[in-house]
Amino acid sequence: MSQLKTREAYTGSGIPVKVFYTSEDLPDFDEARNLGLPGKEPYTRGIYENMYRGKLWTIRQFSGFGTPEETNKRFRYKYENGETGFSISMDSVNENGLDPDDPRVQDEVGQSGVSISSLADMETIFEGLPIDKVSTAVITSQWSSPALTAMYFAMAEKRGVSLKEVNGTSQNDPYVFSLCCNMIDFVTPPHLLRLSVDMIEWCAQNVPNWHPVSFASYNYRENGCNAYQELGMLFCNAVGYIEEELKRNRLNIDDFAPVLSFHLAAHNDFFEEIAKFRAARRMWYKLMKERYGAQDPRSLAFRFHVQTSGSTDIYQQILNNSVRIAYQVLAAALGGAQSIHATSYDEPLCLPTDQSILLSIRTQQIAQYETNIANVADPLGGSYYVEWLTNEIEKKAWEYFQELEDKGGLLEVWHSGYIHREAGKAMEERQREIDSGETKIVGLNCFEMDGEPYQVPVFRPNPQSTEILAERVRKLRWERDNQKVKECLENLHQVSLTDENVMPAVMEAVKAYATLGEIQDVWRSIYPHWDIPIQY
Amino acid sequence: MERKVRVLMAKPGIDGHWRGAKVVTTALRNAGMEVIFGGNMSPEAIAKVAVQEDVDVVGLSILAAGHMKLTQRVLQALQEESAEDIVVMVGGTIPQEDIPPLKEMGVDGVFPPGSKTDLIVKLVKEKMSQKKARA
Repeated sequence: MSQLKTREAYTGSGIPVKVFYTSEDLPDFDEARNLGLPGKEPYTRGIYENMYRGKLWTIRQFSGFGTPEETNKRFRYKYENGETGFSISMDSVNENGLDPDDPRVQDEVGQSGVSISSLADMETIFEGLPIDKVSTAVITSQWSSPALTAMYFAMAEKRGVSLKEVNGTSQNDPYVFSLCCNMIDFVTPPHLLRLSVDMIEWCAQNVPNWHPVSFASYNYRENGCNAYQELGMLFCNAVGYIEEELKRNRLNIDDFAPVLSFHLAAHNDFFEEIAKFRAARRMWYKLMKERYGAQDPRSLAFRFHVQTSGSTDIYQQILNNSVRIAYQVLAAALGGAQSIHATSYDEPLCLPTDQSILLSIRTQQIAQYETNIANVADPLGGSYYVEWLTNEIEKKAWEYFQELEDKGGLLEVWHSGYIHREAGKAMEERQREIDSGETKIVGLNCFEMDGEPYQVPVFRPNPQSTEILAERVRKLRWERDNQKVKECLENLHQVSLTDENVMPAVMEAVKAYATLGEIQDVWRSIYPHWDIPIQY
Repeated sequence: MERKVRVLMAKPGIDGHWRGAKVVTTALRNAGMEVIFGGNMSPEAIAKVAVQEDVDVVGLSILAAGHMKLTQRVLQALQEESAEDIVVMVGGTIPQEDIPPLKEMGVDGVFPPGSKTDLIVKLVKEKMSQKKARA
């Protein structure tokens, strides 16, 4: 009898794991049915035949702060150093659909992201940047997505890039700003859903290279959910949007499924995350094929962006975060991501500095150019452990998805607060694991030190941003054609009362330099205010 | 029966990143304290509610770079309500070099992301027993 002592082990999501795996752990494994080939059904191995040999993943670092001029400078710096996709981070004022001169806003303009109140600001951010060659992600709340996306489109058109050519993504996710972040002035879920789906519908018909939604389970995960809950919620939300569009009887599934996209987290458990990315592709394929009968291969392919998990970064021994980030980038790449944002080691303290963001870009470039991981698609495919774990994650994610569907699906779990309670429970559980030491975090609950060994520079957003930008938006209101703005907002009001798509009216309003706050005010005046059901 | 320690947990301003505030709320409740979760509130409202609810501690969670100004405004509002004896703690994305000036301002404890929740509980208890010794 062996006397070896073996400790029990679990994945980051609590799935028990054995010491090794063999073919016996894959009893019903059918290579053609479970895996296929890269670029072929069921897409477990990746959505393109040639994967990174055709095109490397996009290096897309989410950033923005202060004034549009300051953000333009940072965007240029990143682009000059090899960033291959842009991503705009907006401040909490924008996320709430407010302008910098709103009386409820003090000292927060441009602090957590850039402030954009009109088309003019969008023009400044992208001045001198090749938007015809590089795609952009417009990341803000679902609530502010239509207006801010319209500003990006209007900017592109002014620059001579037509709607047929403009390339990028809007986040436009239902939960990021109600489950994961609070909002102070919000409307009820059915109306938010209407605006989101209007944008998807309009983009699918008019802006073919734009992804008008990126379901962002990254944020659900950051709020404490585990790997399979992440996928369960993700697909519940996607189904909610799809059903809303199909209910309208205007488009077929293959008319809009090709523009849907996703944004996942790369957390600490290396193999579990890779398994999750692979499971997500197979699940999406089944959902599209079996539930919706989609035919277009672009409808069946799960396109996703990965962000390394900011919540795994801590202030203790702060440079250690760059190691966490590099491992998470590796998991994302081995999992077949289309674009990656490597967070920066200093984010527990501040927005990234020029140096820390450079390291994030270089981390990705070293993975792309030095490690040779980009040579072979799905290099872990066929590993007994990875295939077993992919199956496990898929099984548990379907169970969680079904649980949410049984509770009534997207609108019901969102409106009732069920999903908020679920996220709260998951967050408490994760904290308990850290506090008890069950989950080890180097520098936090093991290998702790007295005092900090690393002193790092701190980024400070422009403290004058509120004054500068409040003044700028007041000046804009003097200078623009206010009669035109009034007509556009009145038209938006009228259209919003009908079932017509709101996007053409939003486009007209932003082209007349209506501000974000003014556009959101139209909807605030029509739709009921909603307090997010976070009971705490 | 001894009165439970009463805490108001709030996010001054409109930034919506709530996880930290919720985690600390849970930790303090598990330690037997009564926590009012205020969510996003203006600095003035925080001071008013703190006084109305007769809390011992105000916890501020700030993750959007405005911690110096926002904390200053909460402390000032507390002063205007003659409630300087309320213990004030700040958590969030706070650079190390900002911790001494925050303490000089009158903040009793600062906790960046990754702080152990038992240290937060310990500090609240210490501050409460110091307060009792003074009374």
